[in-house]
Amino acid sequence: MSVSFDGGCGRGRFNLSPGGARRILFAGALSMTLSHSVLAADAEPASGGTIQYGHEQEPPCLAGPWIQQWYLQRQFSDNLVSRTDDGRFAPWLATSWTISDDRKTYVFQIKPGVSFTDGTPLDAQAVVDNFNLWLSDDPEKLNNAATEYFKRSFQSAQAAGTLTVRIDLKKPYEPFLDVLSQSTFGIQSPTALARGRQANCEQPVGSGPFIIVKWNHGQDVVLERNPNYNSAPANAKHQGPAYVDGLVWKFLREPPVRYGSLVTGESDVIYDVPAVDWADANKRFQVIRHITGGTPLRLQLNTAFPPFDDVRIRKAFAYAADRRKAVEVSYLGAVPYEGNGALSQSSPEYLSALADAYPYDPDRANRLLDEAGWTARDADGIRFKNGQKLTVRIVYGAGFLVTADGIQALQIIQEQAREAGFNVLLAPTTQAEFWAGKNRGPHDYEIQPSYWTATSAEVFQIVWRPDSGNVVNAMNASRLQDATLWSLIEEADQTFDETRRIKLYQDAQRIVVDSAAVVGFVPLTVTLAVNPKLKDVWLSSAVGAPVFHDAYFAK
Amino acid sequence: MSSSAVTLPRRVSPRIRETIAISARIPLRVYLAATVIAFFLVSAITPHLLQSHSAFKMDLRATLQPPSLSHFFGTDQAGRDTYSRIVSGAGQSLSIGLGATALSMIVALFLGVAAGLGGRLVDGAVSRFLDVLFAFPMLFLALLFVTVFGPSVTTQIIAVGLGTAPGYARMIRGQVLSARGAGYVEAAVALGHPFPKIVRRHILPNALHPLVVMMTLGVGQAVVWASGLAFLGLGAAPPSSEWGALLDAGRDYITRAWWLEVMPGVAIVAFALSVTVVGHHLQDRLEGRVDA
Amino acid sequence: MPIASGNRHVAWFFRRAIGGAAVLWAVTTFTFIVQALMPGDRALLIINMAAGNITNPSQAEIDAVNAEYGFTDPIAVQYLNYLWRLLHGDFGVSYQLHRPVIEIVGAQILPTIVLAFSALLTAWFIAIFMTVVLAGRANPWSRFVSGLQIVMATMPPYWIGTILLVTFAVYLRIFPVEGKNSLIGLVLPTLALAIPLAGFIGLVIQQEFVRVLEQPFVTSSRARGMGDFGVRLRHVLRHAVLPGVTLSGWAVGSLFSGAVLVETVFARQGIGGILVTATSARDVPLVTGITVISAGIYVIANILVDRAYLIIDPRIKLA
Repeated sequence: MSVSFDGGCGRGRFNLSPGGARRILFAGALSMTLSHSVLAADAEPASGGTIQYGHEQEPPCLAGPWIQQWYLQRQFSDNLVSRTDDGRFAPWLATSWTISDDRKTYVFQIKPGVSFTDGTPLDAQAVVDNFNLWLSDDPEKLNNAATEYFKRSFQSAQAAGTLTVRIDLKKPYEPFLDVLSQSTFGIQSPTALARGRQANCEQPVGSGPFIIVKWNHGQDVVLERNPNYNSAPANAKHQGPAYVDGLVWKFLREPPVRYGSLVTGESDVIYDVPAVDWADANKRFQVIRHITGGTPLRLQLNTAFPPFDDVRIRKAFAYAADRRKAVEVSYLGAVPYEGNGALSQSSPEYLSALADAYPYDPDRANRLLDEAGWTARDADGIRFKNGQKLTVRIVYGAGFLVTADGIQALQIIQEQAREAGFNVLLAPTTQAEFWAGKNRGPHDYEIQPSYWTATSAEVFQIVWRPDSGNVVNAMNASRLQDATLWSLIEEADQTFDETRRIKLYQDAQRIVVDSAAVVGFVPLTVTLAVNPKLKDVWLSSAVGAPVFHDAYFAK
Repeated sequence: MSSSAVTLPRRVSPRIRETIAISARIPLRVYLAATVIAFFLVSAITPHLLQSHSAFKMDLRATLQPPSLSHFFGTDQAGRDTYSRIVSGAGQSLSIGLGATALSMIVALFLGVAAGLGGRLVDGAVSRFLDVLFAFPMLFLALLFVTVFGPSVTTQIIAVGLGTAPGYARMIRGQVLSARGAGYVEAAVALGHPFPKIVRRHILPNALHPLVVMMTLGVGQAVVWASGLAFLGLGAAPPSSEWGALLDAGRDYITRAWWLEVMPGVAIVAFALSVTVVGHHLQDRLEGRVDA
Repeated sequence: MPIASGNRHVAWFFRRAIGGAAVLWAVTTFTFIVQALMPGDRALLIINMAAGNITNPSQAEIDAVNAEYGFTDPIAVQYLNYLWRLLHGDFGVSYQLHRPVIEIVGAQILPTIVLAFSALLTAWFIAIFMTVVLAGRANPWSRFVSGLQIVMATMPPYWIGTILLVTFAVYLRIFPVEGKNSLIGLVLPTLALAIPLAGFIGLVIQQEFVRVLEQPFVTSSRARGMGDFGVRLRHVLRHAVLPGVTLSGWAVGSLFSGAVLVETVFARQGIGGILVTATSARDVPLVTGITVISAGIYVIANILVDRAYLIIDPRIKLA
């Protein structure tokens, strides 16, 4: 196979002066060399064919800050850097980069000869335009993920040369590259972006391996190969255009229809293997699973009001139900149990000692509740105190934050917690109501399951930020305002010493888990089931987006 | 099904003879239907009597079991007995159906009687209004309500109740009109009886005669439509055993655990069917068509 | 046709059209009232939906959305704006899809109409077959079919649909699983809708059919040597279908309701599936738009049905 290394691995600015040198993160080079040598042994993959991909949810827009849009964006746009499975960064649109000693200036060298599929050249100015758009104040244009992650640290973006981008930050922000590797920060064509939000919703333009041809609303998105593609990440399986002619990204919401279409051959690959078909899929098809980083889908306990303002009662709830078994029975192996409620096992800072936090221990739960003064029980076995029942309302986004399997597991938890005396009520909320704030007012819930997808612990910045002034952090549903915790997170975000950084984040996890402000449930998981005749489909490390650039049909 | 004449010894009282004779003329299918309805009514009022297990008890070692002697309709993902869940869900499903039908009847009575008794103007206005409500496909009206007021059991009842009211209102209007034009009413008017008294003693009783039948048939349809809403995920919260919610939950498992989807559907069909059979029989008897 | 009679036809259509327009006006007003009662902050809803997550929007952002959609205008102004836009065919912009409602509905209405129409035809076909061949006879098949019709009429279309999908598409692979716009993909959803409707129509026309079979003119036809099948088809059917035709007007509404459920089950294109997503998204413009447009179709369908009735039964006067 022919591999072109134009400007890719191996080149860069090495200026290793002793002490306080500029640091360069280039670890991808080694892993990439290895993968190329393995591939050299295989025969040349065949071109041609169209991939029929059965996805699940249709987003309202083809580009945007929602995870469903990130999956699509990975197909038509490229990012500055690519995250590898071991948490390092490989060159992509940026062939090399440098970070200043004070960690506040990043300089990226952009790969020459790359253009967007509408002909606009991809140069430093295009990248700068993208940054400015993401951080603009116009609600029609801004990228919400950018606002949450780095708007506070950001100062300016400039084109310091035709192919040189310079980013200045107000204060160091260690997760910056991590954040930039997420596909919502794929670079789009400024010419296309200037068309306005509506046009960009329908047919966004990037430089990626596929071009969006048409969006058939309610049915599918048709993409075709970008024949001029020359900007694959360094950790891709090959450089150059995709092997297949095109990709049909279908929206099949119903699990029996989606899995059925794979079985009948109407789809070559599907997303989100239904739990009930997990065992069968593993026998018949190639199943790829990526456990997303960031926070898992965890139960956030409302620490601001009774009963969960008492840490003993929070711990009692954690011990009262066998969450591990509930997950095993409901997800049937498709999704593993995550006992560490603070961070997902895919994040490099994950503290595995916390994976078994709060195992099933009903005796302990009962003891804690008695200690906390909830000794009386009514005829149904529900505890009460001062005439109030021990009521726990679990408010969740039905069907979009918590899937049917998750709802099943919640019912098991409900039943078991009842035996310890908790009156658990499930309050499903439709998507729209949830986002309109229904059932999420401070007095409306005791537990709120939710997640935030990210690559690693930089997500703590978002979910544990304390309220300031009268701006309530809606992402912090546990309402835990712990000064120690926040100072640990802030320090970690600005520390570039890997060991120290990890230790800080792990201390943060310990605080979170010990306080039982959140209780573990399941990590967010991306699964694909692939027909054996389709090869080399993989999930990107950033957030598990499916990558079809390297895929081909076996003869 | 016809029956042969029953002859009884003369010593049995005429009343009992008559009852037995009537009962023998009722077709077998009506008896079967009545039994099914009785089963569901008992399930609704005292589910514990008919359940084989507790409806909420989970047995995590016996999940997704097919129908067997210990679990008549199999178990679900959490090991709950499907048969017991259906029995316990009867109460909720039936009360939603009854609630919707009651609401529907009240609205329909009001509109139908007003149209039938009022002058041409009132009749015209109400008829147009009914045309409007009729123009909404029932589920669309229900979904409009749910969009605005959010999904819940109350919305289910109101949506289905209002959606089915126009049809009944038209029927009642027709009945009132024909009762009003009947001979005995003319005679009463000629005799100088006050109108409200005529309405109360002659028109209403005769017009509303078929109401029982209408309600019986209506409950079946109401249960089906309410389940439809729950099937779309717009009904009660889990762990509700309401039949539509069971259908919604069972959908994902249909390829591996068909009993979860098929059995609640059978319950709905059985109930609606029995109610329809009994309703038609009552209708036939009212209209004097014995042994139809 | 004499001019006088032609005038009467025109007058008839005119009256019907006015009536239909009045009904539509009332429908739009009704939906406006219902949606104006919606609780919750609509601006916040729209912003969060666009972001795909819970956000902390600033007051400026909320004000911008309020200004765009006119949420803060007095209710009378909103109503008049709403009517004015409707007259121009502008149903507003969907909250979640950010596209004009008319565009969304226009693109998706055809599959639903195709589904409803083919279900109606199929239901009639089945019902007529059952009635002509089997009604009014004494053999056990006839009794079975009568009972079958009741069972068919009570089966929920979503239940039939799910079972058909799993049996014929997933297990037996006779039909495709995905409901694309192909003809063969139309078969199962059509059956799911047609079976209950066939039961209804069958029940209704069967009663009439049996009654007409006993009429004197039928006896005389037989006496003149016409075969049994011929009698049934040529003479009796024409009378018996009348109540069924009236029923068809109502059936359009019922088929649309059924289409919502069936399109969900088969993951088919159409306004039914869109309506369900729009409902959970509290996407008021889209829901009201679909409702009003469907009401319009229903009104037109009923006018056509009434016209068809006149053709079938010339005894009715153009009153």
